[in-house]
Amino acid sequence: MRAARMARQALSAVSENKTRTLLMMLGVIIGVATLTIIASSVLGARGMVMEKVEKFGLDQIMIMAGAGRKPGVPQPIPTTLRVEDGQAIESEVPNIKDVSPQINRRDYLVKYGAKSSYGVLVAANPNWSAVWNTAAESGRFLSEEDRTRLARVAVIGKTVVRDLFEDEDPIGKQVLLGNNPFEVIGVLEPRGTSATGVDMDSRVIIPLSTGQKRVFNQEYLAMIKVALQDPSRMDQTVADVRALLRERHNLPQGLEDDFTIVTPTQVMSLASKVSTTFSLFLVLVSAISLIVGAVVIANIMFIAVNERKGEIGIRRAVGATKNDILSQFLFEAVTIALLGGVIGAALGIVGLKGLAFLMKAPMAAMWQPIALALLSAALVGLAAGIQPARAAANLNPIEALR
Amino acid sequence: MIEVRNLEKVFQKDQSEVRVLEDISLTIGEGEFVSIMAPSGMGKSTFLNILGCLDKPSSGTYILDNVPVHEMNDDELSHIRNKKFGFVFQSFHLLPRMTAWENVTLPLIYSEADANMKAKAVQVLEAVGLGDRVDHLPRELSGGQQQRVAIARALVNDPRIILADEPTGNLDSKSGQEIMGIFKKLHGEGRTLIVVTHDREVALLSDRIIEMKDGRISSDRPTAQALTEVAL
Repeated sequence: MRAARMARQALSAVSENKTRTLLMMLGVIIGVATLTIIASSVLGARGMVMEKVEKFGLDQIMIMAGAGRKPGVPQPIPTTLRVEDGQAIESEVPNIKDVSPQINRRDYLVKYGAKSSYGVLVAANPNWSAVWNTAAESGRFLSEEDRTRLARVAVIGKTVVRDLFEDEDPIGKQVLLGNNPFEVIGVLEPRGTSATGVDMDSRVIIPLSTGQKRVFNQEYLAMIKVALQDPSRMDQTVADVRALLRERHNLPQGLEDDFTIVTPTQVMSLASKVSTTFSLFLVLVSAISLIVGAVVIANIMFIAVNERKGEIGIRRAVGATKNDILSQFLFEAVTIALLGGVIGAALGIVGLKGLAFLMKAPMAAMWQPIALALLSAALVGLAAGIQPARAAANLNPIEALR
Repeated sequence: MIEVRNLEKVFQKDQSEVRVLEDISLTIGEGEFVSIMAPSGMGKSTFLNILGCLDKPSSGTYILDNVPVHEMNDDELSHIRNKKFGFVFQSFHLLPRMTAWENVTLPLIYSEADANMKAKAVQVLEAVGLGDRVDHLPRELSGGQQQRVAIARALVNDPRIILADEPTGNLDSKSGQEIMGIFKKLHGEGRTLIVVTHDREVALLSDRIIEMKDGRISSDRPTAQALTEVAL
């Protein structure tokens, strides 16, 4: 009860001088607003990356042909990764659930009548759909019969559909891949943009056998995606796969791999490394504005204490203890800082909506960063208020009443 | 009720010591109306502050209601001020952003009383004749009215001792007389009044006049006796 009464006293002081209160809040407002935006967008971005990684499959590894790009070193076209490698992995390495070999080409011209689109052409087996966690939304996916018959059939992504067909139903239509006519048998469900910025909806999937014989005229693969039974044994499985491939490719000791194994942990650590550096910088920015905010609050509080000596004196005379005065001024400082925090968080949410609109990316305000921002605002108030409040409490009441 | 023995107050100023109060001993009984007179700067305000537990003596003893006040710590003194004293100042010391009744509730905020604060404040304001001014801000009130708000504030916790430091010093004579009328009434209710003043007319209303000079009590006698001496 007594505390509630004293809180009301502090609130009335806060509302009395609105310009000053606003000035005191400014630093906190900026700090909290930036903190809200930064933390929400960083967490959001990280969440998006994680989601992509999960789509990629936490229980999957990718074997890419070639040693991976190295700056300045000319790369021979890797021709060593074969369908048989995939079969060997499936039969000889334990902990393998499924193996999906594929050949792909970026920027492959797809034509329908006078319209054209550039897509990612992927030649793969029917199990691609399960391993890549991407089903046909309409029509059907590749079948075992398509594979054995070397059928000229294609399942296409939404972007390609939009570019070529507009309102037409693409199923059953003939498209040209290069100069080869293919029948569209299905449309892939949308997948958006990959972590590396590739439009996943521009993919065109054809049977691997058809691709090898009729389109690319090559036996070797671009990559093999391998699904594991038990993801917790990933490290061991990666080592087994690597050993098997080195043996099959006759790589003597000391010569580097002619393939690259990518695991979800690598993708994740890369993503989080980028966002950590970014967020560290931005957290620094908001920390600085919060500190500036604290300094401003502390300074204006000192002025206010000096101006309100008479008030402090009369309060002491009618029975306020030092602690009462200390709590009053501390409460005022925390209230101002928290108020600034609330305004800052609101501005931050508005800013996030604006950013989401400008960048055409969903950016949800998250409660964790807002809670963190409000907590830091309260701490700023405490830190800024403690010295002025102490000065107020320790004023000699007689001096204060003079 | 108030018993002061060999009270001294020394202020440290630069390198030298200033002895503001020296060897003051007196007793003030329940229900007395005492005025303390002295030229300015002769320590009467310091003395009042010590009596009101706003300040501590440098040496000597102060017994209030059989309790040695000079041994108390700051929190205990705050509690005593809240419960036993009502202060009235020359310059009123009202909080400008608060209405009359809010100003009056100030001592209640720091007491444990949970009763309806506004009702109590309004009641006391009515007692000092400001029943129609409860929602006014201090700047909307005349000096005399402001001082009456201050008196209501001093009374709201129902203290037995009222301490006033030049209560009429900032008022015209008519307002001053109104204030002294209220003091008279409070005295009639059995409260103890201690008023510091250099206004003879104010002092003449009291039962007892204590005169101070150079930090010492130079005379302490009933008002009637002081009157006759002036007449001589």
